[in-house]
Amino acid sequence: MSELGTIKGSVTPNPASSDSRLTPPWRFSFLEDVFDEERYFLLLSVFIGIFSGLAVVCFRLAIDWTHLALLGPLPQAHTWRLFAVPALAGLAVALLAIHVFPGIGGSGVNQTKAALYIFNGYIPFRTAIGKFVCAALAIGGGHSLGPEDPSLQIGAGLASALGRQLQLSREKLRLMAPVGAAAGLAAAFNAPVSAVLFVIEEVIGRWSAGILGSVVLSAVSSVVIVRGFLGSEPLFRIPVTTFRRPAELIAYAVLGIIGGAASVLFAKAIGLLRPCLKALPHWTQHFQSAVAGLLVGLIAFLGAPQVMGAGYDFMDQAMRGQYAWKLLAGLAALKIIATTLSFTSGTPGGMFAPTLFVGAMLGGAVGGVEHVWFPHLAGSTGTYALVGMGVLFAGFLRVPMTSVFMVLEVSGNYEIIVPVIVANTFAYVVSRSLQPIPIFDLLTRQDGLVLPSLEEAREETNSPHRRRYASPSLHNP
Amino acid sequence: MSWTLPKLVPRSAPAVLLVLTLAAGVAFAAVSHLVNRYNANQQARGRKLYQQGLADVSAGKLDAAVEEFRAALTCDPSNPQFQLSLGRALRDTGRLDQADSYLLALWQRAPQDGTINLALGRVAARRGSVDDSIRYYHNAMYGVWSADADANRCKARMELIEFLLQKGARAQAQSELVALAASLPPDPHLHLQAAEYFAQAQDYRDALSEYEQVLRLNRGDPVALAGAGEAAYRAGHYLTSQRYLQEAVKANPQDAHSRPQLESASLLLHTDPFVRRISDAERTRRLTGAFLHAGDRLKSCARAKGVNLENASANSTTSLSASTSSNALASLAQRWLAMKPDLRHLRTPREDDLPGAIMDLVFQIEQQTANYCAEPRGVDQALLLLSRNREGADQ
Repeated sequence: MSELGTIKGSVTPNPASSDSRLTPPWRFSFLEDVFDEERYFLLLSVFIGIFSGLAVVCFRLAIDWTHLALLGPLPQAHTWRLFAVPALAGLAVALLAIHVFPGIGGSGVNQTKAALYIFNGYIPFRTAIGKFVCAALAIGGGHSLGPEDPSLQIGAGLASALGRQLQLSREKLRLMAPVGAAAGLAAAFNAPVSAVLFVIEEVIGRWSAGILGSVVLSAVSSVVIVRGFLGSEPLFRIPVTTFRRPAELIAYAVLGIIGGAASVLFAKAIGLLRPCLKALPHWTQHFQSAVAGLLVGLIAFLGAPQVMGAGYDFMDQAMRGQYAWKLLAGLAALKIIATTLSFTSGTPGGMFAPTLFVGAMLGGAVGGVEHVWFPHLAGSTGTYALVGMGVLFAGFLRVPMTSVFMVLEVSGNYEIIVPVIVANTFAYVVSRSLQPIPIFDLLTRQDGLVLPSLEEAREETNSPHRRRYASPSLHNP
Repeated sequence: MSWTLPKLVPRSAPAVLLVLTLAAGVAFAAVSHLVNRYNANQQARGRKLYQQGLADVSAGKLDAAVEEFRAALTCDPSNPQFQLSLGRALRDTGRLDQADSYLLALWQRAPQDGTINLALGRVAARRGSVDDSIRYYHNAMYGVWSADADANRCKARMELIEFLLQKGARAQAQSELVALAASLPPDPHLHLQAAEYFAQAQDYRDALSEYEQVLRLNRGDPVALAGAGEAAYRAGHYLTSQRYLQEAVKANPQDAHSRPQLESASLLLHTDPFVRRISDAERTRRLTGAFLHAGDRLKSCARAKGVNLENASANSTTSLSASTSSNALASLAQRWLAMKPDLRHLRTPREDDLPGAIMDLVFQIEQQTANYCAEPRGVDQALLLLSRNREGADQ
């Protein structure tokens, strides 16, 4: 087994691993002391952040433009466009993904991770372009997917392309992908700390001090760019919330348990449906995304247009207590169905936003029910919706650290930290007990790859006799 | 299809950084252009939707307006005007929690804004929360207004007063009214409104003062004349009341409310034995008349209640075993009978205390009979009002 990870099945040859790249291109004689390789890489990280930030701004505009052009500013139920647009968008995306931009399906997190551990940091520039175009069309066209994971891959793709252009050493080229990924994700979420933590938890899969500086620099610079263009306000402006009585933690713990169970349901649905669809004849892939779009559109047409796209506006409304708990619960269930359909059909797009959506709706619903039984609870529906987001993040994506900081950063509210930690811990424990393999690892294995993960490392720490992988090194390939 | 980028970047680190800086500058400018165009388009679209929403509000289509404002907000999420309008529309459709969340988000950003505080005050008023209403309305009164600050502050205070009066919080309403009256500009409409609020708060003296202010600004205003007449009547200033009511009836002969009040005021003025500038004979006539009317009222009330005043007065032990009302009426009858012979001493100059004693008894009879029997009419009603005014004056 390789130190970098193991590839099961066929692997695309790595263009970045030719001998010519082994020699670092440090040919400049003057200013050599000033621009040593480490400092040069740090400076490059800032540029990666700037370019990724600019790319993500354009990506978000592209999604919004597509959405406005195809569906209008606020889609209403019972209009024919609701199922026609996602179906046609799905058909176009499938054709592009098969014939023009192969390998752009899925969220992009695993592809970036594979680039780091298997392909020496190589992500084709075509993939970044394809991801941009197809994800914008799919998400803007109403598929139940989010823009964050594609942003991560676009950032990583840009960084990889830049690294190749600059003929960096193989060691540095490998590191470009996570640096760009952090920049892309930070820009998409407007949350640098969460992006850094996610890249460490999920993309790199281990704590590495060597790359931390570059990842932080790129994330911060991309966020500065995005805030310059799109504003510095948090993603959600939740109503004022306070946490006073420790007894209320029980209510949040219940939310954590329910959220953990919902995470398992969500992961199982994707884990079961995806191989089934992949096993279908190849020609059906031309239509899988269109059929998924049709079904998602049908859900919207029948009365739940909220499930379309990323759904941030509706999350915002849920946090402002604009839906009754029954509707919130229904939307959470329908979003799980819609996202499962969109994602497993191979439509390019991310799972971050749907996870947040399901979490917000579920949290709001649980909070609403708890308020019926215990009217004295101080937390508003918005508070529970916010905590619910973190719960699904911890339970479904299995990134406990990121889930806590993500809630704090997207809301700008630090009063809620204790309930978030409690609820996320319960969700994480429940999810891990019922679904031992995290969703990203499951998808990687379904694709025939085995990559290291921080969760596996945690398992190894707990059970040293169950080691399955040699710990990969980022600096000594 | 080849997607390999040409090798454009030099290999010298400073040159690389220079090229990257230039490239970043160009990309920045290009994205700025894109974003500006996008924002301009979105703002234009948002304004269009907002105007449609305002038109829907004007047409009373509040649900449609809510959707339009929401759509406008998706185009320009940080626009405070859109948020405020959405909050107001949600409030007017009764979705108070939703309205609160939008307005509170705005309030967090601009807690000093008078418009936002006024909108929040109205939501609190719709909820019926006195404390929150007072807080937000006060914030609105002392907050910052972008235009027409005095008028808006006055309007906010009037809304608060109206709400407090509806909730029966008279003391708080009166304190707001005092502040309002002191800050009102010389506008007869505003003073008229303030006078009506004072009247609703049962502060008739200040109401009269405000009506008089209206009449100083707008002589002959029939509404102010009628209001001043009624306020003076309720304040016990019957002469003033009569004067205003006469003018009110003269200004508006169709005024069905002022005419009976004028008759009542005139009757009071002709019944009251303590009114100044009447002769002793007239005073004696009024005292005798009041005493006899009170006696008749007592007898008719006793008849209606089935109380035999003669037996009761003959046998006090029987009356003791009767009901409280019978006892009270019998006791009054005894006192009335005992005092009747004294009427002839009214013209004696030495009997200075007698008029007061007679009217005390008259007032007691009118008050007790009003408690036990139907509301009096005519002279009895006038005597009852006199008794109440005297009681108020004594207190």
